[in-house]
Amino acid sequence: MVKKLQYRRLLMLALLLGAAFAGLGYRLVDLQVLQHEDLSNQALKLTQHLYQLEPRRGDILDIRGNLLATSIFVKTVCADPAMIGNRQAEVAHALAPLLQVNEAALAQRLVPRTRQNEKGETLTNNYVVLKRKVSFETWQKVNFTMTNLTFNVNEKALNKKEAAFYQNLRTKAIFADPVDDQLRSYPGQTLAAHVLGYMGVRDSGESVGSDGIERTWENKLKGVRGWRWSERDRRQQEIVALRGQDVEAHDGLTVALTIDSFLQHVLETSLAEAMQKESPISISGIILRPRTGEILAMAVLPNFDPNNPGGSEDARRNRLIADVHEPGSTFKIVVVSGALNDQLITLNDQFDCERGHFPFAGRVLHDHAPYGILSTESIITKSSNIGAAKIGIRMGENRLYQYMQDFGFGAGTGILLPGEVSGILHPVKSWTKVSIAQIPMGQGVAATSLQMTMAMCAIANRGMLMHPMLVDHLQDEDGNVVARYAPERVRQVISEDTAREMVDALKTVVTTNGTAPKAALEHYTVAGKTGTAQKPPYQSNKFYASFIGFFPADNPQVCIYVSMDEPKGDLHQGGQIAAPVFKQIAEQAANYLNIRPDKDGEQVFPQLAAATDADQPVKTIVARAP
Amino acid sequence: MARNRKNQSAAIRFGPALKAFLMCSGIVICCIGYVWQKQQIYELSRQMKSREVRVSLLREQNDKLRNQLGTMLMPQHLEERVRELKLGLVPPQPGQVWRLPEPQIVQSSPPREQQYAAEQTPGLATP
Repeated sequence: MVKKLQYRRLLMLALLLGAAFAGLGYRLVDLQVLQHEDLSNQALKLTQHLYQLEPRRGDILDIRGNLLATSIFVKTVCADPAMIGNRQAEVAHALAPLLQVNEAALAQRLVPRTRQNEKGETLTNNYVVLKRKVSFETWQKVNFTMTNLTFNVNEKALNKKEAAFYQNLRTKAIFADPVDDQLRSYPGQTLAAHVLGYMGVRDSGESVGSDGIERTWENKLKGVRGWRWSERDRRQQEIVALRGQDVEAHDGLTVALTIDSFLQHVLETSLAEAMQKESPISISGIILRPRTGEILAMAVLPNFDPNNPGGSEDARRNRLIADVHEPGSTFKIVVVSGALNDQLITLNDQFDCERGHFPFAGRVLHDHAPYGILSTESIITKSSNIGAAKIGIRMGENRLYQYMQDFGFGAGTGILLPGEVSGILHPVKSWTKVSIAQIPMGQGVAATSLQMTMAMCAIANRGMLMHPMLVDHLQDEDGNVVARYAPERVRQVISEDTAREMVDALKTVVTTNGTAPKAALEHYTVAGKTGTAQKPPYQSNKFYASFIGFFPADNPQVCIYVSMDEPKGDLHQGGQIAAPVFKQIAEQAANYLNIRPDKDGEQVFPQLAAATDADQPVKTIVARAP
Repeated sequence: MARNRKNQSAAIRFGPALKAFLMCSGIVICCIGYVWQKQQIYELSRQMKSREVRVSLLREQNDKLRNQLGTMLMPQHLEERVRELKLGLVPPQPGQVWRLPEPQIVQSSPPREQQYAAEQTPGLATP
């Protein structure tokens, strides 16, 4: 009996053990075989982590290597609302002054939000951005403040769960996004703001160039992101020894502009002074080298600070390329150049300017003074509308239209900045009868300031139209030049002889007989043209005053454009208000660029001059007199 | 005479002991080597991480200094400093620039067999 009972018990035990082992075996197969894929993926997710390595955005330099824009790595401060419990008020009170945000808004953002996923599970948000672009120092202060934050509770009396909550609140609830962000800094503040542009933020939080060079050269500046697969421990710290793929980020290229920060400063300062004096809606200016098309300075006022590009959209617009206007008398250079080039006229040909009253095609054209007979040269000197109209009529619609196109009107100049417009150049078939008389004096056609400047540069450059050039070269983080940009020719618009004749005519504009004696320089011969365009509707007393000039006239080194939109002072003519600004800028630019004077005023040490053989060609070096 | 428990040689048998010792030593060396290697990996990882952090900090500092230098080199900042320090610096006017005629380059005489320092005439060095 006993033996039978023992067998039964033994059998029972064996069955139980067998069942237990079978259960364990099944569990083992379930974990290792059936659920292997899912579980191994889960395990990898917990340990493996993809670190994104942010490239440093390239700098923007001026032609002399001065820094115009650079990037500083900064933090994005985030919070896990689920870890904050009901302590939003205390946390917001502590952090709001550091992050410089509204305390109530910050507290609101720290409140946990719940949502339901597709499976119907309730999820609490555990990532909310509190502030972007926080400096490293501020982030350290935030960390320190959070670690030392007291919540007016006796922590010794707390149970384990509550203690863990406060511990997590202090150390984990507020954190920096693992992907570093960058703050774009513009040391010159408003300097060359319209050229440089500014940075914006996409919905994804990614910074992106929104205007100017920052936008056009985004692909070169931003660099290439790197990545690193690695494992993390339970404190979320990387285990360096277990790193997998490690691909370094490639920093963005540095863009070196043709802009010279000193000339840019000179231009902006002079324009600001004129702005204060004449109170126009806006004032613009360009300095460029006619031979190459290199833009040395480009400014528009009102402007903005790209470090903080708020304010009005008007201030952010680069009016030199984005706004069109009727150019007025500066456009006469096109019709006179064309007619001279086609040998339809000479500089000495005489035109009857009808004492300032010329009825044509049902309209009456006027001059600002009652001129009689004027030579072609005098038409430029005095800026006679009737004279220019008669030259246009002699030239004919098709040739005039062709020259306008050749000078670059009606098409973008190709400047590497966003927002350039083509201007308005109606085809000949859309012209009215009076167009052939109006267009030569700069009405019925709309151009950007840059187009007008490039046209003048073509005359200065012996008839060759150039592309405006804004970027000199690209370099990598070690300073090695990876691409250098050369000046680009567009086309020969007029012959060299015609260009020379035009320069001779334009030199007379800054004489006492001309419209812009205030643009004359003491040591340099200036060639230029004034423009005073009445803004439509033409009855209103709103003008667009401008002056474009270059010097030394026979060997042009610099071309300068100045324009004012609706000056409010007593004067409104380009020769009266834009020409003095030109002069102010030109004098400083000539000094800075050390341009050799072509008029009297050059001084030579007498002793050395005497010692030099008169027959020998003289090389000179420059010294500064005390 | 055959060797047995009762009748065995008095000499100690080193062979098996040496084998056992070598085997144990091998195992111990392998273990120590493994631990040392792991320790090295850990130590190098730690150094790597600390150097990465240092590089990152230096880079940040470099960026800040570059920005600071950029600000200090800006024309408006330089102008302000000139005003503050009352240095009275202004750019020279074209009339103040003196252009010196470059002296004519003196052609040196053809070399003789022997030249002495005392005989050399003072003149400008040719390039």
